[in-house]
Amino acid sequence: MMLAVNIVMLVAVLAPVLLVVWMSFTPTASFVLPLGDFSLRWYREALSYPGFVDAFFLSAELAAIASLITIAATFLAAYGLVRFRPRGREALMAVFTAPLLVPAVVFGIAMLQFINQLGLYNRLVGLVLAHVILVIPFAIRSLVATLGAVPEELEWAAMMLGRSRAGTLWHVTLPLCAHGLVTAFLFSFLLSFSEVTTTIFMSGPSLQTLPVRIYNYMSDRIDPTVAAVSALVVMISLALVLALNLMGGFRRLAAR
Amino acid sequence: MAVDAANISSAGASASRLRLRPHWPFIAPLILVMAAGFAWPLLHVLVNSFHPNTPQGLDAEHWTLTNYRRLADPLYGEILLRTLRISAAVTAISAVAAYPVALFIARLSPRAQSWMILAYVSPWLVNTVVKALGWTLLLRSNGVINTALRAIGLIEQPLRLLLTETGVVLALVPGHFMFVLLPLWTAISALDPALSWAAGTLGATPAGVFRRIVLPLTLPALIVGLVINFIMNMTAFAIPMLLGGVRNQVASMLAYQVDLVSLDWPFGGALAVALLGFTLALVFVGQKLAVIGLSSRGGKPEVSPS
Repeated sequence: MMLAVNIVMLVAVLAPVLLVVWMSFTPTASFVLPLGDFSLRWYREALSYPGFVDAFFLSAELAAIASLITIAATFLAAYGLVRFRPRGREALMAVFTAPLLVPAVVFGIAMLQFINQLGLYNRLVGLVLAHVILVIPFAIRSLVATLGAVPEELEWAAMMLGRSRAGTLWHVTLPLCAHGLVTAFLFSFLLSFSEVTTTIFMSGPSLQTLPVRIYNYMSDRIDPTVAAVSALVVMISLALVLALNLMGGFRRLAAR
Repeated sequence: MAVDAANISSAGASASRLRLRPHWPFIAPLILVMAAGFAWPLLHVLVNSFHPNTPQGLDAEHWTLTNYRRLADPLYGEILLRTLRISAAVTAISAVAAYPVALFIARLSPRAQSWMILAYVSPWLVNTVVKALGWTLLLRSNGVINTALRAIGLIEQPLRLLLTETGVVLALVPGHFMFVLLPLWTAISALDPALSWAAGTLGATPAGVFRRIVLPLTLPALIVGLVINFIMNMTAFAIPMLLGGVRNQVASMLAYQVDLVSLDWPFGGALAVALLGFTLALVFVGQKLAVIGLSSRGGKPEVSPS
């Protein structure tokens, strides 16, 4: 019985994603599952549609900028929390993970009204700010764990030998955390790259990320072109997930 | 306890003790980012929700409660009811499926466990619009499910699944199942296997072990997961929009309509504040339930928001 439930759930979880990939290779103009007769026709179609190509680069740029800012600010904060063990550490962690408690729709509405009244509507900076906030809770957890695993004695040694705290942070701590930093960056990138709800609410007409562009395309019509571009998104996302898994960071992030 | 690292550097030791907070330069940047990008926008929308809306837009000079009174309009009652109905159905199905799946995974080898968890979690990292497309292809009248059911002769006419509440529920269950599965699997993995073994030697049946040992010890984790799951269902946007359509409007679609089509920000703000208040209240109640569930059995409460 447990096996049966497990199979049903696993099929339900994986089927929509795998079906999109399979369907994207159809040679026909309608959605007929290709059996043995595969074609890259709709990939050529998708890659020659400027809307999708532009949106892909916007999404990648946004994810990279937002992740870099998040990792920089979060790494410093994690260093402050782990190395100085300030009083109120728990409260600060609660503050940094608070965005998890705010539904994406609510945050999207708040951001929409906020950036409009600031005159930042349809500008990249607003999207960057929103995506930074959305990935901070995940980044802070993973970086606190990363720093906790780096022996403090190595930093003491460097400081006793005359390095300043900043010098020690840069030359000793940062290289020791490289693995954790890359993992956190990849995970942040992935979260930002696949964010839909908040972005739909606040992105302006000329700043449509790839998921938003696919959403708008789908609200209009559904053809194999959108399956091909979606399949590309699936492949990129799954490649990043596998990379994360191989780096060992995924289990830690998933298990909390 | 380790020595405060600041004391090691001879020059800065006494100075940093006097200034008391050597960690602030490190923490301040993130605090500033969160104040600007998180606290400020939320306060902003809260303030907006108390202003009247006029044909010229938001009137910042006056204050009102009209926007909150409008929430009680029976017109929106139907939408709220549908949102609750869909969310409850999804959470109920997830609750039923959670134990069989989590127990099954927890009995596998560690290596197999991490691959199974990866299989359940990785689709969550593919954006929901792509998954909505997948479900559209599955649920259409000439889609995979209907074609398969007709091929084996179970149905004559295609079932209407797309643009129905059933379709939305079908797509949301696997979409948000991970939030129930992960905490429960973590809790089951943390159980001492000796407990079940001891109960077995004392004559307990497998069902008895589950009912008297596994269930009471892991129920708090399930509750935490179900609360998160319910909140995710209440505020899902792309799946209900693309699979349910405008005829099956839910709360998040109403918010989109109000904020981006009617541009009625004060009312949209009131909607956002109400949704947030509801969410936080649920989280609070869920944590209390989980803690009560644990402490009544003498366990040590350990609840994280997600």
